[in-house]
Parts: sequence; C-alpha cells; structure tokens
Amino acid sequence: MKAGVRGKAGVRVVRLFGLPVLLVLGWWLVSGRSFYLPDPVRVARAFGQTWFSARVFDDVLPSIGRLLAGYALATVLGVGLGVPIGLSPRLRATLEPVLEFFRAIPPPVLVPLLMLLAGIDTPMKVLVIVSGCVWPILLNTVEGVRALDEVLADTCRMYGVHGATRLRRFVLRGASPQIMAGLRQALSIGIILMVISEMFASSSGLGFTIVLFQRQFQIAEMWSGILLLGLIGLTLSLLFRFVERRVLSWYYGAGAARA
Amino acid sequence: MLEIAELRKVYESPNRSVEAIRSLTFSVGAGELVCVVGPSGCGKTTLLRSIAGLLPVSGGQVRVAGVPVTGPPPRMAVVFQEYGRSLFPWMTVRQNVELPLKEKRVPRPRRLELVRESLESVGLTDAADAHPWQLSGGMQQRVAIARAVAYEPQVLLMDEPFAAVDAQTRADLEDLILALWRDLGVTILFVTHDIDEAVYLGQRVIVLSSSPTVIMEDLKIDLPAQRDQLTTRSLPRFGELRGHIYERIQRAREAR
Amino acid sequence: MRRLLYGLAGLAGLLALLEAVPRLGLVDERFLPPASRILGTLAGQLVTAELWLALGETVLGWALGLAIAFCLAVAAGVVIGIVPGLRAATHSTVEFLRPIPSVALVPLATLLYGPSLGSTLLLVVYASFWQVLIQVLYGVAAVDPVAYDTARSYGLSSWSRVRHLVWPTALPYVMTGLRLAAAVAFILAVTAELVIGSPGLGAEIQVAQNSGAVPTVYALIVLAGLVGIGVNAAVRLLERRVLSWHPAVRSEAGT
Repeated sequence: MKAGVRGKAGVRVVRLFGLPVLLVLGWWLVSGRSFYLPDPVRVARAFGQTWFSARVFDDVLPSIGRLLAGYALATVLGVGLGVPIGLSPRLRATLEPVLEFFRAIPPPVLVPLLMLLAGIDTPMKVLVIVSGCVWPILLNTVEGVRALDEVLADTCRMYGVHGATRLRRFVLRGASPQIMAGLRQALSIGIILMVISEMFASSSGLGFTIVLFQRQFQIAEMWSGILLLGLIGLTLSLLFRFVERRVLSWYYGAGAARA
Repeated sequence: MLEIAELRKVYESPNRSVEAIRSLTFSVGAGELVCVVGPSGCGKTTLLRSIAGLLPVSGGQVRVAGVPVTGPPPRMAVVFQEYGRSLFPWMTVRQNVELPLKEKRVPRPRRLELVRESLESVGLTDAADAHPWQLSGGMQQRVAIARAVAYEPQVLLMDEPFAAVDAQTRADLEDLILALWRDLGVTILFVTHDIDEAVYLGQRVIVLSSSPTVIMEDLKIDLPAQRDQLTTRSLPRFGELRGHIYERIQRAREAR
Repeated sequence: MRRLLYGLAGLAGLLALLEAVPRLGLVDERFLPPASRILGTLAGQLVTAELWLALGETVLGWALGLAIAFCLAVAAGVVIGIVPGLRAATHSTVEFLRPIPSVALVPLATLLYGPSLGSTLLLVVYASFWQVLIQVLYGVAAVDPVAYDTARSYGLSSWSRVRHLVWPTALPYVMTGLRLAAAVAFILAVTAELVIGSPGLGAEIQVAQNSGAVPTVYALIVLAGLVGIGVNAAVRLLERRVLSWHPAVRSEAGT
C-alpha cells in the first residue's frame, strides 16, 4: 500500500521532471561545441548576476508595468467598445470590415508609426501594447455579446432586469467566456509587443537589454534574458489561467454537466 | 384580467411575409387557469410572446388588467420551455430567484422572505446555493417556477414548460402548478402541445388551428376542481374531453 | 446585401475620417497624411518591382516557416498522442516552452542568421509550432477509445490506425491549429523583417520610417493589413475545402 503510494508519487516526479532534466543534460553535453551555446551552469550564473540586481527595478519591472498598463487600457477599450457594437446589429454590420482590417495588420508594424506620433518614451510603448491587444479583446467581446442567449435576454426583459444590472449580471457575464478567450490571445500579443517596443530606439527595458547583450556578444547573459522572458511568459499565463478558472468556474461546471 | 382582441401577427421580411396568427380573441378572468393547445407549428409560442410584450403585434391588442401591452407588463412572469437557457448559469439558485426582486427594489428583508418561501413552495430549500447546472432538468424548471412565484405576478404565462422533462417529473410538476395556483390565486395561461396535460390542468382549454392561427374552440373543462393524477385521468369525462380535443386538432391538421 | 452596404458605409466613413482629420489640421499632416495621399502612395508603390519583391520575401518566409512548423508539429503531436505515456512525460516541457514569447529569440536569430530568411524562419517556426502542436494533441485525444480498441482488435497496423482513425478524427483540430498558426506566422514574419532587417515588407517599412517617408510608412501598413486579410481568407478557404466532407462540419452546417 505504502509502496504503491510512493510509487505513484515517483511516477509523477519522473513525468514532471524527467524530460526537462534530460533536455538540460543534452544541452550541457552539446554546449561546448558552439560559441553561441554556453553551458547551463554559466547561463544560470549569468541569470543570477544579471537579473538579481538593480536591473529588476531599472528594466524588468518598468517593462512589466508598461505591459500591464497597456493590457488594462486595451481591456477597458476593447470591452467598452465591443459591448455596444455587439448589441447593435447595424453598428456591427457597419464596423465589421473596418475591424477585420485593423485586426489583420500585424501589430509590430505599428511601432514605427507610433514612434512618429508619440515619440519613443513610455507613452509610445504603452500605446503599442494597447494597439495590438485591443483587437482580439474587441472582436471576441463583439462575438460573445452577439451570441448571448435569447431566452436569457427574454428573461431579463420579462423580469424588468435592465440598465446597469443587465449589463453587469447578464451581458458581461454571458459574454465572459469569449471575452476571456480574447484576453488570453491579447496577453501573448502584449508580451511580444512589450519586447519589440523596447528594441527600437530605447535605452532601457527588457527588450533593449537583451538586444544589448547580443550586440556586445555577452552570450550567456543573452540566454539568461531569453530564459527570463520565458519565465515571465509562463508566470503570466499561469496567473491568467488561475484568474480564468475563477471567473469562468460556472462555465466549466455547466460544460461538464452537459457532457 | 387578460384580454386578447383580434390579435394578428405577420412576420415581415424583405422577400416575403408569413401570416402566423390571423385573428385571436379571448379573455382570461382573474384567478383562472386556461390552457392553450394546438397542432405543432400553430404559433403557440408566437401568441405567448405577443401577450408577454416580447414581440410587437401586427394588429389587435392585448390588455392586462385593462392596460394595453406595449412591452413586458410589470406584474407578469413567464416560465419558458428552455429551462436550461432561462436560468443564469453564473448565479446560484438563490441569486436567480432574487435578481428580479432586487431590480424591483423590494426591500431586503421582504426579498429574503420571498426567496425562502418560493424555494420552499417548489421543494428546493436545500438546493438554494447550488448552481442551476448542478440540478436535474425537472429541478431546474422548479427554480424557474420559484423565480416566477417570488416575483408575485398577477399573470403567469407558461410556454410548454414541461415539454423537455420525463413523464414522472412532468406529473409532479403539473401537480405543483395546480397547488401553487390554488394557494396564490394567480391567473395562469398555460401553453402546451399535450392534450392530456391541457385537460388535466385547465379550467378552460382553447384549441388553436394550424397557422395562420384562429381559435377552433374555447372549451370549458367540467371536471371536479380537486384533481389528482390517478382519479382525474381515469374519469370517463376526462377521456371524452381528450377525445373531443384530439379530433378537433386532427381536423385542423388535415385542413391545412 | 444590406450588410454589404453597411460595411461599405463603414469603410467609406473610415476613409472620410482619415481624410478630414489631417485636412482640418486636427493632426499634423506630416504625421498623418490624408487617406487620399496614403492610397495614392500605395498605388505608386504597387507598380515598383521592389515592393513586389519585398512582398514575395514576406510571403515566402510566412509560407515556408508555416509549412515547416506544421509538418514538425503534426509529426510530433501524433507520436506524442499515440505512444502511451509520452503525453504525460512531455506535458510539463510543452507547458514551459509554449508561453516563451517567440520574440525572445530575436537576439539568437540575429546572432545565428543575421538579417536573412533564416532569422524569419526561426521566429515563424517557433511561434507557429506550438499553435499546431496543441491542437493536434487535442485532436488525437478526441479519438474515441472504443473505436481505437476496435481497430486494434481487428489487427490494424499502427500506420493504418493513424491513417484511417487518428488522422481523420484529428483533422478539424489540425485545421484550427493551422488557422491560428497562419495568423501568428504572418505577425512573426513581419516582425523579423522589422526588427532584424530580414528582407521583406517589414524591412521596407523600417527603411521608409528611417528616411522620413511618412506616407510610404502608412501605405505599407495598409498593404500589410490587406495581406493579413488575404492570409486569413486563404487559410479559412483551405480549411473549408479540406473539411467539407467531415461530419463535424456537416452537422455544424446542418444545425
């Protein structure tokens, strides 16, 4: 019995860490051969020296701050515009081609444009993130609001649920699975844009720092930067999943009940 | 209480127009329970949505307590057929029942009392904190009924509310409706495609033709007021009434 | 028909707005040229050979990268999906590597390939690989275990099990993955050109911006949007073609 439990835990550990350990070992074995691939120990050391320093406050946190600011603005904008567009068929028909066009523009090409309009400082970087994140949020909100259940809409009318309560208790909640899907897409676009906005004419930030390491051939430091970006991406996506599970618990529950 | 005068509904689209309801005139007295039956596709749901003020009519008028209906009337509640879609899945049972009362600005103590009483009357006191999707279909429909009851309506409209539940549950829910109707003295208009159900529940049964709809017959159900599933349904008169209505509906379908 | 009119009205409104704002002096014309000038510049660009070459480079990087990622991801996904235990063993690694933003690889690509197609491919392949892989894994997991056991009990070889059971079931998922990956691949292709300077539309935008040719920047961005629409439409068309026989699609159309 006890051995069985221990055996199961053992299998889990192997499953979780087996392949990553093998991959790191493989990395270590091939690392000596190329100038561009320093061994894991050096990268780990560089990671500690590079990022557990003043850089956290000078580069990393400001970058993340801009990302969150842009993401929050895009959320307000995307949901705020998406709800009325989703509720009005006429408005939707009018704006659909325009929105499709804006969505199809690869967000990074807006960087040169926004540099022109908003300079090279924080406002430009935040604006870049907003301009990329807003479309998936907006379009998914429109889709979610459009597909609200008609019977529920009738129920609201019948029982006099209207105005702000209707918006909060019915429209936003009913569209929330779609809105969350849009927010998830926007998050990965936001991280990309956070990095790119700092690769142009910038003097600080994560993207700038990593490119600087590359230009100065500080290869281990560069790799540690890539690793850090990976960790940030992973952390944000885990956080997002945590929030999503909370917000949409009813949705997953109802889905499981139907299946 | 409920007056429907020369109600007419035509669905207009750019290419063609479909006459769903030609002309309907009938009334439901205060505290009456009237059932509406008709062949499938006869515009029962259109009729009900028109009365509820959810659908603009093409002609005629609906009046509730003398007031013409232009939008959903304030003291009317509806129980929809699609119980799974008429409850808010992100709210608990209690919140579902409470929301309309909050919107009506019922003071909190009275609100809690209404919620408690209505859940008790449908036998769902223990499920108050569950989410609708954690309940069976019949229980979900009970929640919808509790919500309607708590709203304290003058008129309760029911749109084939038991069409999607199994036979045993259906019998239980029918008796629940009869009990609530007797206790609350509410006016009920009950739309169904099931002739047995109409005869069992109604004081009157209105038989509709196929679309474009007119009234085929307005039949008084002269069964004893006290009804129960076993004895009422085995009365000879029950069989006669059922046969009569069945025949009318058959004729309506052939006439099409 | 009516929808079309509304849509055209919307587009006309956008153009009118873009024309009026700079003309009325609300925004300096140097920063936002009127719509007519942007479109005029675009028309002028469209008759130059350079633009078509750049466009060709972008589309090449996109298509090649997408194709490589697609093949790798489908192969990896099917193997991970059907070899017992492999899915559990790879789960943590996939979940760790997937959220790494592909732009993190920009410095690496610059070091390895410099401003060339290789850089574009590295970013495009990395970004689109995960999109397809995840969907393939969903698709393989959707195979009915009873059908799978049936196939085994009738002695179908692994290859024909994949060919006749796993692949058809997973196909709708695979196509979803391809659609998502195509959009991401286009973004990354342009990004590589813009940031690293690999030849293509993005590099042209960068050049135009550096030389202060503002209308050209706008014209190229409009073009990028149009290409993006084309990319989305093409993949959706392909998806519908490939899946036209599929029961999932037919029942969806039927309801």
